[in-house]
Amino acid sequence: MNGMLAVYQKELATYFRSPIAYFVIAVFLLGTGYFFVYNIFLTGIGTMDQTLQNMGILLVTLIPVLTMRLFSGEYTGRTMELLGTLPLRPWQVVLGKYLGAVTMLVLMTAATGINLIPLFLYGNPETTTIFSGYLGFLLLGMACLAIGQFFSALTQNQIVAALITVPVLLGFWFVGHLQSFQGSEFLRALLGYLSFSIQFGDFIRGLIRSEAVFFYLIVSAIALTLNTSYLQWRR
Amino acid sequence: MIALESVSKRYGSKTIIHDVSFSVEKGEIVGFLGPNGAGKTTTMRMIAGFTTASSGRVSVAGCDMATQNDQAARKIGYLPEHPPLYDVLDVSAYLRFVAKVKGVPRASIASDLDRVIHACKLEAVVKREIYKLSKGYRQRVGLAQALLGKPEVLLLDEPTAGLDPGQIHETREVIRAFGVDHAVLLSTHILPEVTLICRRVAIINHGRLLAIDSPAGLQRASEQTNQVSLLATGPSDAIREALLAVDGVQSVNVAPSAGANQLLSIECQVENRDGIESVIARVVAARWSLHRLERQQPTLENIFLRYISENRETA
Repeated sequence: MNGMLAVYQKELATYFRSPIAYFVIAVFLLGTGYFFVYNIFLTGIGTMDQTLQNMGILLVTLIPVLTMRLFSGEYTGRTMELLGTLPLRPWQVVLGKYLGAVTMLVLMTAATGINLIPLFLYGNPETTTIFSGYLGFLLLGMACLAIGQFFSALTQNQIVAALITVPVLLGFWFVGHLQSFQGSEFLRALLGYLSFSIQFGDFIRGLIRSEAVFFYLIVSAIALTLNTSYLQWRR
Repeated sequence: MIALESVSKRYGSKTIIHDVSFSVEKGEIVGFLGPNGAGKTTTMRMIAGFTTASSGRVSVAGCDMATQNDQAARKIGYLPEHPPLYDVLDVSAYLRFVAKVKGVPRASIASDLDRVIHACKLEAVVKREIYKLSKGYRQRVGLAQALLGKPEVLLLDEPTAGLDPGQIHETREVIRAFGVDHAVLLSTHILPEVTLICRRVAIINHGRLLAIDSPAGLQRASEQTNQVSLLATGPSDAIREALLAVDGVQSVNVAPSAGANQLLSIECQVENRDGIESVIARVVAARWSLHRLERQQPTLENIFLRYISENRETA
């Protein structure tokens, strides 16, 4: 447990001592602010629905930048040899890093809360819907982070890690579109189930389905397990 | 403390380490000597638990590295060939991270940090980010990291690489002091280092352990044959014959001298016998002209080179 905590603290320190975190947060907040202003003031509808939807796709494109260095950086910095010989089990490394990345996600998400101030001052939004939207957003982000972290473990090159992660996440986001072309009920259900955006859509509309919660958690768990087994196998 | 029993390492069909066995006891510094690519780093990594042996058994402080990797890891301090540093962290944040992972109790982290910072003379750079440090400092931060938590076993892969002479001296003193009551395995290709601080030397090449003995023992073993080098002028075949006729001369190698023409550079392997060089001198000087003669006691360097080249011939 202490080992995992130390890895977690190191990850957070690394994020904040390199420009990447600030860059990602800045781009994310600028983008979110833009979408918020656009959706609220131009359409005049006082809800977060459309903004959260836009934040989702923005997140999918930014997560690879946050995750690309998680393991690739350890390989090129030759620090994997340190992590591999210290009294640390692979799952402690994987989880410590993951929690560090999740903390970044939570901070980013919390910072968008500033948008809620004018919303509540001048509008009359539904608090529960906003809450469920944000919950879905965090779950979506957690699944994306786990996937990005896994791909980062597969390559020494951070750019390659990001280049693999982007299409995979976009694939999960847009896979629901294929539903319309399927005759079979099973395939339609499956594609709908696998779609990050369709699952996320329910949260945005204020619907917290346990299936959807489990879906994101299971995707994260699978990616983290693959990540751990891969590290184990490398020995 | 460290024990290797017929350890081999294969990558695919290629065998990197062949059947290596040796051990390092507590209170002993063992030098691990070999040219680049001999298998030093791979062997170090197997002992450190970064890779596993394909066959054979590696145990550290009584723990089998194949099954009790975790327990052993707490007892090992390891400085890899390239110091594993996090460039964006400052020195104290980095060392604190390693101390925490090593399970140093929270209350003694500060004092343990002070100890290694003092031992490795890092006081001046404690708050500096690692990417700003010179090569010598990076190497010493790596060493400090290995010393944290007072591990029973210290594995150092070329610890003095990249240091200036003053720093090399200081680092050796740190290792020597640590070696008094710990087991230290130190890989290097710098020979004087081995004679200065190691009690025993293991020579490795092409993944095979060629010899393991004290520096003095290795010297004694090879003192059975000494070398006499001559510079002379004359017909090379006649000189060779005359020298081979001398009692105690085992082999003669004659080649034109690289420096001057006419001069021959002659090397004789001779038995370790008093006065043999004067017999040789008389034989040569009687019929031809002798310019220089030198009898060489084998240095560790000669011994090392001999082991390496013998191995190359048989391989």
